Amino acid sequence: MKRLILPLAVLVALALAFLPMVGSDTMVQFGINALLLATLAQSWNILGGFGGYVSFGNSVFYGLGTYGTAIAMTNYNLPFGVGLVIGVILAMIGAALVGLPILRLRGPYFAIATLGLNGAMMAIFSNLPIAGSNIGLVLPLARNDAMFYELALGLLVVCTLTVLWISRSRYGMGLIAIREDEDAAGVMGVNATLWKVSALVLASIFTAVAGGIHAYWSTFVDPASAFDSTLNVRMVIMCVFGGPGTVFGPVIGSFVLSAVYEVLAAQISTAAALLFGFVIVLAVVFMPRGLADVVKGGRAISWRYFIRNIRENRL
Amino acid sequence: MTAAPQTTPRTVIETRGLTKRFQGLVSVNNVSFQIAEGETLGVIGPNGAGKTTLVNMISGTLTPSEGQVVFEGQVINDVPAFRRAHLGIARTFQVMKPFHGMTVLENVAVGALFGRGAERSMAAAKEKAREWLEFTGLGRRIDANAEALGGPDRKRLEFAKALSMQPRLLLLDEVMAGLNPVEVDEVVDLIKKIRSQGMALLVIEHVVKAIRSLSDRVMVLHHGEKIADGDPTRVLEDPRVIEAYLGKRRT
Repeated sequence: MKRLILPLAVLVALALAFLPMVGSDTMVQFGINALLLATLAQSWNILGGFGGYVSFGNSVFYGLGTYGTAIAMTNYNLPFGVGLVIGVILAMIGAALVGLPILRLRGPYFAIATLGLNGAMMAIFSNLPIAGSNIGLVLPLARNDAMFYELALGLLVVCTLTVLWISRSRYGMGLIAIREDEDAAGVMGVNATLWKVSALVLASIFTAVAGGIHAYWSTFVDPASAFDSTLNVRMVIMCVFGGPGTVFGPVIGSFVLSAVYEVLAAQISTAAALLFGFVIVLAVVFMPRGLADVVKGGRAISWRYFIRNIRENRL
Repeated sequence: MTAAPQTTPRTVIETRGLTKRFQGLVSVNNVSFQIAEGETLGVIGPNGAGKTTLVNMISGTLTPSEGQVVFEGQVINDVPAFRRAHLGIARTFQVMKPFHGMTVLENVAVGALFGRGAERSMAAAKEKAREWLEFTGLGRRIDANAEALGGPDRKRLEFAKALSMQPRLLLLDEVMAGLNPVEVDEVVDLIKKIRSQGMALLVIEHVVKAIRSLSDRVMVLHHGEKIADGDPTRVLEDPRVIEAYLGKRRT
């Protein structure tokens, strides 16, 4: 099972690369959204899944990536690539500035501190003339969904390779040690502050690029959509649904949830959100350690697995 | 008899008037001691005597209110815990803290990756971890999940984690608590094996028999103060020590 996962992932990635040539326009558009969301969930996984720090501030990096790209392209007529780099730099600076003070907080206190970041950023960008204040910015139009699709796929692949490296490296061992017991990790020589802040900065890079790609694709940016806290909630849900702290869990989790949501929205448009919430509640009850944990059990999985989870959680 | 050349062993750790206050409560009061290379200091005292607080100040999880912690001639009061680990201070925890979600081997590899030896490659760190697990007698459980281990094996894991950091000073905080007499003997043997590696050892323990057989010197803490320090047999027969532990003898 374990040996099969990696070749299988390569095959899936290759197959996905050919989708724009065979799939319909709506399928490609769904694909772009799903791939970008998977990237967000995967980058949230770096600090959240491996380091155990639940952040609700990652959507800020998405917004910074969005605005960095948009400002560079509209106000300065810079090419898309340069815009992305500016967005990434903004996000990295933001991650370091935010991370240094608030990563001293632990557990729920960290999560609470990150909650306010979105609102603060939205207020700032609503009052920046260079960012179009609260009206927003309109980017040059590029009718090339296939390109955006391949960009999003490439980004997800790079992000997942990074997480694969983390899972097998000294760096990742430090993060997991921090997640399991930060005091014990410190006494064993792990520089927790450096590790946590760098994990947040690393996550901010991929998150910002995803934001930049989405901005150019949707051609419109405003404060409410760039600094959308529900986007952050989706990152958390998708990552936790798939399996936090695993390499492929967040990707699979977000693909599955994107598909579920799409089907629900098509069938019963108004009640979709309600049913989607129901699906997530069921998932958390029956498989609190995510899809990856279910898959790891392989064929041995049976109803007993789900019953045990319910017992363990005293439901 | 082999006549070893007489050199005074180097002092590894020294505290000078170490004091820790928690608001009004004085947990450790003006404690000074030193441990030389290859020496084992046993620390005993009733519950709440300040033993663990002392260890916390040496390992860096607490900062002293007064006094100095001197490691190999350098005052390390302001050095954070992770850097003390790099210098060569390792400890075990009274409430054991294995990393769940990691195998036994990976748990120990963390020490090899981040301790004084600081291996950069995973393969080398795992190799070292394997050696230390053999050393502590846990070689057969290498691939088990850390949370699957039972009491005595958890202690072995705790030892292996600390040892893989290649410490110069090892602080053992009540490693025998909760063990039966047979297991205590096993741990005593293990500590004797560790002693022969030449590092400085500080052993906090309640099991007096074990302390007597392990220690070169015994220090007694009572209400945060040092009330005795010296030869184990003499200290353990000191009336003041007996009184601290058992109360006044009625005559």
